[in-house]
This record gives sequence, C-alpha cells and structure tokens, in this order.
Amino acid sequence: MSHVWLPCGLYHQEYSKDHGWWQTPLIRGKMIFLLGIIFIVFPLTLTGYWFGVANMVGYTALGALGVQILIGYAGLITLGHAAFLAVGAYTSTLLILQFPWPNFFINWGLAYPISIIIAGIIAGLWSVLFGLPSAKVKGFYLILTTMAAQFITVDFILTQYISQIGGRGQAFSLPPGTIKIGPWIIDSEIKTYFLMAILLTLCIVIVANLLRSKVGRAWIAIRDNDIAAETLGINIIWYKLLNFFVAGFIAGLAGAFWVSNTAALSPEHFPWFWSLWLVGVILIGGVGSIHGVIFGSIFMVLVMELIQLGVISLSDVFPELMIKFLYIKESVFGLIICAFLIFQPRGLSYRWWQIKNYFNLWPFSY
Amino acid sequence: MSLVNGVLVGGVYALVALGWVLIYKCSGVLNLAMGELTLIGAYVTLAFYQAGIPFVLSIVCTLIIGIILGILVERIFLDKLIGEPILAVIMVTVGLSFFFKGMIEFVWGTNTRVYTPPIFPLEPITLGFIKISNVYLWSFILAILLFVIFAAFFKYSHWGLAMQATADDETAALSLGVSARFVYAGAWAIAFMSAGVGGALLGNINGINISVGYLGLLVLPAVVLGGLNSIPGAILGGITIGVLQNLSGAYLDRYFPGGVKEVFPFAFMAVFLLFKPYGFWGWERIERM
Repeated sequence: MSHVWLPCGLYHQEYSKDHGWWQTPLIRGKMIFLLGIIFIVFPLTLTGYWFGVANMVGYTALGALGVQILIGYAGLITLGHAAFLAVGAYTSTLLILQFPWPNFFINWGLAYPISIIIAGIIAGLWSVLFGLPSAKVKGFYLILTTMAAQFITVDFILTQYISQIGGRGQAFSLPPGTIKIGPWIIDSEIKTYFLMAILLTLCIVIVANLLRSKVGRAWIAIRDNDIAAETLGINIIWYKLLNFFVAGFIAGLAGAFWVSNTAALSPEHFPWFWSLWLVGVILIGGVGSIHGVIFGSIFMVLVMELIQLGVISLSDVFPELMIKFLYIKESVFGLIICAFLIFQPRGLSYRWWQIKNYFNLWPFSY
Repeated sequence: MSLVNGVLVGGVYALVALGWVLIYKCSGVLNLAMGELTLIGAYVTLAFYQAGIPFVLSIVCTLIIGIILGILVERIFLDKLIGEPILAVIMVTVGLSFFFKGMIEFVWGTNTRVYTPPIFPLEPITLGFIKISNVYLWSFILAILLFVIFAAFFKYSHWGLAMQATADDETAALSLGVSARFVYAGAWAIAFMSAGVGGALLGNINGINISVGYLGLLVLPAVVLGGLNSIPGAILGGITIGVLQNLSGAYLDRYFPGGVKEVFPFAFMAVFLLFKPYGFWGWERIERM
C-alpha cells in the first residue's frame, strides 16, 4: 500500500532515487505548497474559533501518530495511550511549576522547551515499562496490559498522588507568562498554533524517516510476522521496546504541547475514552499510514465540531439536546467507527492512495 | 473476614467475567462492550421491575430482550466482519460500547437508580461467626450455577462444540460446515444474556448508574488471570481478584491511601502476565511460520 506509482513516462535511472525522500519535482512542489498553507495561509486567514479547531486537530494527530507507530507499524495494539499523554503533560507542568530553574533559564525562555523534551523522555520510559509484557504476550493480553497502564497511571498515580504535589488541588493551572519559548510567550491561540504546526511537522518528518530506515523495516517485519522476523535475526524484544519508547516520546511531546493549549490541567483530560478515540482516529484514517493519522484527526475533529454546531443550532427548538450533547457525541463516535470498519476497512488514506494513483497513471490506468 | 468477603465479591466478578470468556470462547473476539451490555441488562430489568413485574419474571424478560438484541447486533454490525482482521472486530465492539453508552445515558440519564422495593433483604445472613450480605451470596450461587450450565453446554452440546471450533479456527470451521453467522449470533445472544443477569444482580448491590459499566472493565484482570478461554478460569480468576482486592484494601491502604483497591488488580495482572502469559488455564497457542 505504501507503493505509489510514478507519473506516466517518468522512470528512475539510479537505485538511490527509488529511496528518495521527495521523488519527483511535483511532489517537492506539493510539499512546499502544503508547508506554505500550514505556516502562511492558515495563520493569515483563520479566526479564533478555527485556530482552536486546528490546535485540536494537531493535538489529536500528535497523539494518534504514536498510536499509529504502535498499532500500524509494529502490530502492538494499545488501548492506553492517553496515559502517556498524561505523563508528558504532567511532567512538563511539574517541571515548570516546581523545578528550581536558574533565573537565566526563565529569562531566556528555555524552561518550557527543555520541559517538553524531558516530558517526552519520561513518557517514553513510562511507556517502555508497560511495554515490557510485550516480550512475552501479544494480541489480547497485550491490550489488557496497555489498559492497565491507563488505569494505573491516570486513575491512580496521577489522580491520587501527583495531583497533590504542591497542594494545588485537583487541577494544575499555569500562571500566565510561564509558558515561554525564547522571547515568545505562548499566550494566544495563534502562537499555540505555530507551536503545534512546528511540532507536528517535525514529528511527522522524523517518524516518516524512521520508518524507511532499518528500525522502521524491523518494525514492519515484526508486524507482519514476528516469528519470521526473529528468524531473520531481528531482536524483536529490543525493537518492540524501542517502538514503545518512540510512541511514548511522541505522546509526551503531545501532552507537553497540550499544556500550552489549556488553562488548567487535570486527570479528566486523559480519560480512557481518549485512548480509544486515538485508536478510532487511526482506524478511520487508515492503519499503517502516516497520511491516515492526519486524515483521521481532521475528519474526526471536524465531524465532532459539526455535530456541536448542529446541536447548538437545534438547541432553540429542542433545549434538552444541549444537556445531552455529550451522549450524542459518544454515540455518533461509536457509530462512525463501526461504519468505517464495515464499509471502509482500509480507511481514508486508502481512498487518497487510489486517487493519487489514478492521476499518476492517467491516461493509461491499466 | 476480608477473605470471605473477597471470595463473595469474587463471585460477582466471576459472573461478569463469564460473559467475557463466553464471547471469547465462542467467537474469538475480545468484547470491549461487555460493560455496556451489563448496563443494558441492569436498566432493562429495572424497567420491567418498576412496571410491576416480579423480579424473576423481569429477569426472564431481560433474557428474551437480550437474545433479540444480541442477534440484532450481530446481524447489523458483526455479520459483515466475518473474515476481517481481529483488530477490526475488537474496535467494532469498542464502537458499539460508545454507541450503547451514549444511548443508555440518553435514555436513562446519569442519576443513580435503585430497585424499589429492594429485592434482597438488607440484613445479612449469619453463617456461624461470619456475616454475609444476601446479594453477594446469591450472585455467588448463580455464578456457580451458570458455570455448570455453560461448562456442560460447551462440553456436550453440538452448538457448544461448533462455537469452540469457530473460535479456534474460523476458516477450518467454515469448511467443516459450521455456520459462522449462526455461531456469532448465538455467541452474542449468550453474552447479552449473561451480562443481563450479571447487571441485574450488580444493580442490586449499589444501585444502577453508569459506573456499573466500569465494573465490566474491572473484571478484566480476573479474565486474564484465569486465561481468556477457560470457563473455570473465569471463576477462579474472579475469586482470586476479589480476594486480592479485599486484602489489598485491608493491608495496603495504609501505605498507599486512595484507590489502591481498584488499581491493584490491574497492577497485579500486568506483572502476572510477565510470568504466565496465558493465565492459569488459557490455551497456549504454539505458533509456526
């Protein structure tokens, strides 16, 4: 599925070009165009509400990227990814609030960027801890250990212990001005948007490159047949744990990013629902495809926003709909997942792949 | 004291765990909608009970509705997924669980409801020097009873064997003339029925609200401990988890205040899987290339 045909009449003359990052000038042009849209057109044209939506898409995509690495590329099914997002978010917040930063770190705005990196590392290690059973079990039993990660981390450790640090009560709120990168204070939605766009672009580039390296090939081999992979000399335990680390690292970044987007942090931001939501996103977008992460998050967030808009506009006629909005949202989410799995099991990215190939092969599509 | 309580609470867990194991054994699917099925059972029984029907009869009505719902769910959602990868089927059950949960909240709201008048007398039974709550005792008896029925069903009946064959290898079962559609419909009907009974009993303990559904997740360690496809394993796992939970509540709570009772089974499960990946009596699959 990853194979996309080259446009008609274009042939590579060297093997190295087959492994190229952007194989044709057209693709390079498209990518630069896309970056232009993300970094120039959107910031100029979007308004406040849509920045919120875009940030939500970005946050979902960052989280789902980790899930995609686990499920889509190594076949390690996880239903507890929100736990690692939570670990990232809490690490970052606690570092900013509690760590005795030297003054110049704060003045130069280094505290938040450093805390993002550390959040990633801690979330990655935490994820490896819960990935350890994957050395012995797979399939259903692994699903259960990742669920254990969710309940132990969020419902127990974070709620009962971490939230008590500093005596702030259940929710941590960061005083304005503490989230600062270099000279910029992240205090408006457009700045959060830029932070999101940069993080997401970086993560996607890194992951996409990782996937076409030795590591990525090992993961895909493990996904397709782990026994065969082992006989080929791949250290499957090491690569599975590495996979957990990378997925957890990205989740940590996403969680640390979420800190900048929210006024107060509490364990309720990371319910089990959110873990399932992320898996739903990649199923709708397409398992085993980075496009799928993006398409899935855009689709899901937009659908939820549309439902919200619909409910708000109907609320004059049926006022009780507003109260029951959450329930409707839940039901619709469930139905969408079911419908996609039944009617479009390969996700949105498969359609995208078909469209691309259609145009690449046109007019000789046989 | 906490040991006996643990065993009895474990009986309730075993009842819900049976539902998980049954559907896994029948169709090879980990049904993550189990908690919501339990909820539906509890609410439907409550609805019948409050309409003035006696408790036992309303459970029978719930069973009938469970069969209908199970077959409907199978026909609408899972029928099309025969032969699809197992992740797809699991995620469909997740989707279903959201759908059911939203619908339950939509129809019945989130307030706690109780059975009025109460069905089981509130004063505990005294056996020697131990006091036992009525509800727990009945759930324990019912779990054992269901265990005997289902064990016989899987061992001796034609359908039970067909279901096990499908769970083991769908393709082979199909080629031997087992109707997979029929098996799945049966599996879901059974799951709805056992969850319905479990829900009705659970609803009697603390009243019914959405959190009864979470109990469906809390029993997961019990299921894993026993092995995913072993019916006696579900009973043993349920009782073990019940005992562990009560003991950890009694002894660990003073060192780790907070919800150690709810989380300890999960932590125990995660460590346990490191040493015994298939639970006590789960099938060990020997994989070949």
